[in-house]
Amino acid sequence: MGPELEYETKSGRAGPGNPTSPRRSVRKNLDFEPLSTTALILEDRPANLPAKPAEETQKHRQQYEEMVAQAKKRELKEAQKRKKQLEDRCKLEESIGTASQVWNQEILPNWSTTCTSRRVRDLWWQGIPPSVRGKVWSLAVGNDLNITHELYNICLSRAREKWRATPASSAETEINDAGSSDRESSLELIKLDISRTFPQLCIFQQGGPYHDVLHSILGAYTCYRPDVGYVQGMSFIAAVLILNLDTADAFIAFANLLNKPCQMAFFRVDHSLMLTYFSAFEVFFEENLPKLFAHFKKNNLTPDIYLIDWIFTLYSKSLPLDLACRVWDVFCRDSEEFLFRTALGLLRLYQDVLTCMDFIHMAQFLTRLPDFLPADQLFQQIAAVHMTSRNRKWPQVLQALQKDPERGSPVLKR
Amino acid sequence: MQNNHHKEHLYKILVIGDLGVGKTSIIKRYVHHNFSPNYRATIGVDFALKVLNWDQETVRLQLWDIAGQERFGNMTRVYYREAMGAFIVFDVTRPASLEAVAKWKEDLDSKLTLANGKNVATVLLANKCDQGRDVLTNNGIKMEQFCQENGFVGWYETSAKENINIDEAANCLVKHIIASEKDLLQSEVPDTITPQLENDKGGTCSSCFRSQ
Repeated sequence: MGPELEYETKSGRAGPGNPTSPRRSVRKNLDFEPLSTTALILEDRPANLPAKPAEETQKHRQQYEEMVAQAKKRELKEAQKRKKQLEDRCKLEESIGTASQVWNQEILPNWSTTCTSRRVRDLWWQGIPPSVRGKVWSLAVGNDLNITHELYNICLSRAREKWRATPASSAETEINDAGSSDRESSLELIKLDISRTFPQLCIFQQGGPYHDVLHSILGAYTCYRPDVGYVQGMSFIAAVLILNLDTADAFIAFANLLNKPCQMAFFRVDHSLMLTYFSAFEVFFEENLPKLFAHFKKNNLTPDIYLIDWIFTLYSKSLPLDLACRVWDVFCRDSEEFLFRTALGLLRLYQDVLTCMDFIHMAQFLTRLPDFLPADQLFQQIAAVHMTSRNRKWPQVLQALQKDPERGSPVLKR
Repeated sequence: MQNNHHKEHLYKILVIGDLGVGKTSIIKRYVHHNFSPNYRATIGVDFALKVLNWDQETVRLQLWDIAGQERFGNMTRVYYREAMGAFIVFDVTRPASLEAVAKWKEDLDSKLTLANGKNVATVLLANKCDQGRDVLTNNGIKMEQFCQENGFVGWYETSAKENINIDEAANCLVKHIIASEKDLLQSEVPDTITPQLENDKGGTCSSCFRSQ
């Protein structure tokens, strides 16, 4: 491309208000598209203007060469960065591939003997490959309740009968039983909550591929455990299981998971037991992060404010989904203790920012964690949390508090 | 802050009502000026902060967005403490959520009173009025009567989606909160500062007294 031609277009773009600043327009241009600065500076002035002095020409040439050199450097750097990213991704994919092989061929076939070994525990901490995640979760959660696929189908058909018995239009239903007893009708609540479960994934919403599955599992559970019914938070747990397991297996894992002591305490909203859990958490909070603990105390920020959401949804609402799954991995290995350890890891990760905040900003921050949460850093922080307090581990601390509830958090008591 | 006479008020406001009536959407619209049909269900409590200029004074509203499932009532009622005002929200397309309003109000009044024994200012929001099924509220006289009987200082048909009446409702609430605060201060010995409620130590919300 001839320099004159380039200049023509350039000066045309620069407009009449800017006749003496080809350099400036070149610079401006450079900021946006460094690769297109072809020889703009080397061109001669149009014939109707006095020619450039030699030294100015020289200066422009030099400047131009510097620009080109810089642009090349930048380009090279970016190419290297891209290459590194690609390598990292390949490495990651390869390690996931190897890991799934190890899980599939060595660990899973001999689960009862391998699951407690040091090596497996270490691999487990690093995250279970998505392809075997569901299997490992199922095995680790177990099936103490002895739920079979048949039982699931029975519960599901009961739920379906109930759905059929209530008219489709929710408004009419509610006019009919406007009385209060049905205000908490689980089936009604499930309908309202399903569309608000991982809305950004667009798969559980009306018409989405997993809408009916989620509906079925939650409905079947309310028939399996009418005494518990549907409680908010459940839809998130069921959804994460659905993403990793077939429907009936997801139901089995769901029911067994909710049957764990901590989950039962929360989903039955056993207030005093929940307070005991919060108090136990505070024991380890104070032990691990005394300064932040004092800061929270001073600001009246009680643990229920952030823990309720984290525990009820097992972090699936507050953490990015892949990270939440990694927390679930180790939760399946270490049980409830790991949920509270994760909370401490999060507080540890953000203690510097939190220390500078007042009540409302901390509460906002913790109930809406940053979107980009570095997984490796979080797990490093979790690993650094000590789950011992005066030689007692989590179960002992919890047990002691259960025996002596008066030592519970006074702030939350009324 | 530039001059010493500049007052700052901090008010804690509760947003309560049945599950899925649009509490979070109303808050998002009010504070962040946007709407999405895809909010996640609130578990426990969420927070937002809104700063207003009010007659050359600064008003900070601490909004407590409380999960609507009745089951959580035991757990979330501690959050009522020290609130100075409340919105109770229902969904005009779901009659049951209006039925529940009286219960929410009763629950609120039984757990929260100002130092002078009065109830906190509460505004009723008939949300989702854009959905055209407002048979519930088209009888204005009846709604007025309902508000009087249940002790609401006012009611608004709102739409978080279409941004209808949200600011108006909030201004109404703030106006009543400021009035009830003045009322409170007058009924007290001038130089003792007693935060409202049975709680005997000053909490976050009484900072508005402190700054005066």
